[in-house]
Amino acid sequence: MRQKKTALVITFAATTDAMAMERYCASRGLPGRLIPVPREITAGCGLAWKAAPEEKEKWEAALAEAGLRWQEMRTLELWA
Amino acid sequence: MIQVNAMGDACPIPLVKTRKAIAELGGPGVVETLVDNEIAVQNLTKMAQQKGYGLKAEKLGGHAFRVTLQVEAAEKSTDGTEGVKTAESAAVESQAAAAPEGTTSKNQAEAPEACLVPAGGSTSGTVVVISSRRMGEGSPELGETLMKSFLFALTQLETLPQTILFYNGGAFLTTEGSASLEDLKTLEAQGVEILTCGTCLNFYGLSEKLQVGGVSNMYEIAEKMAGASRIVRP
Repeated sequence: MRQKKTALVITFAATTDAMAMERYCASRGLPGRLIPVPREITAGCGLAWKAAPEEKEKWEAALAEAGLRWQEMRTLELWA
Repeated sequence: MIQVNAMGDACPIPLVKTRKAIAELGGPGVVETLVDNEIAVQNLTKMAQQKGYGLKAEKLGGHAFRVTLQVEAAEKSTDGTEGVKTAESAAVESQAAAAPEGTTSKNQAEAPEACLVPAGGSTSGTVVVISSRRMGEGSPELGETLMKSFLFALTQLETLPQTILFYNGGAFLTTEGSASLEDLKTLEAQGVEILTCGTCLNFYGLSEKLQVGGVSNMYEIAEKMAGASRIVRP
């Protein structure tokens, strides 16, 4: 049975920042993945980081440390 | 809850039968339609989206699908009267019997419009063909990221493809080390057939490294593509 699950979605100012986020998280063993920016956030094109909905503050700290230009952090329902 | 058996029915009959059941509900409720082809699932999905019904589509195994529609309010007829609803269901009945004479012009116009995929011909659904580990030309790094995004986006479709074929460099996506294994396993668990070209696995030394789906040959690949109602090539 298909089910939707809540996810934290972080969007970035540039595609290269999103790709840098993937490299940063891989090097630190931080859980999550790149996805195309969901349509609920923007009709435009782009990449976003998808993670578990908890620990929003942890992600804010990680983004600050990585020096990445992120735009928005939102929780959304996505197909699991 | 009303159950509709539309097994063996070609479009637009599953839609017509389902609409009739929704009219019979006369208010909020659930209609469960059993169909035997992906096209009927797609058409019912489109109708649910247009009407704002809750939707759940499941593959039951073999060629059987169950589409569950959650109707929140009675279907709105043009003027909202009961009389129209009765006329509508009568018209729907006669349409189900493939007798266009006597139907109202409203229904005659509505059913073919809702039938997005033509009846007849192949019922094998959408086949996605992945021939490279990258999407598009240009930066290899971006190409890999885009392909990963595309495969994730497939998992988010309301109606999933029937089959995904992987050949040539696409074989790297179904084997050890692929960043898309989780998405492909999710798709497979939902009934999407995942097939990778055996010749390609062998050529790249990946035969022992397949992680999701089955191994296929060129005859099956040709059959799947020739029988597809739609081919998607990112």
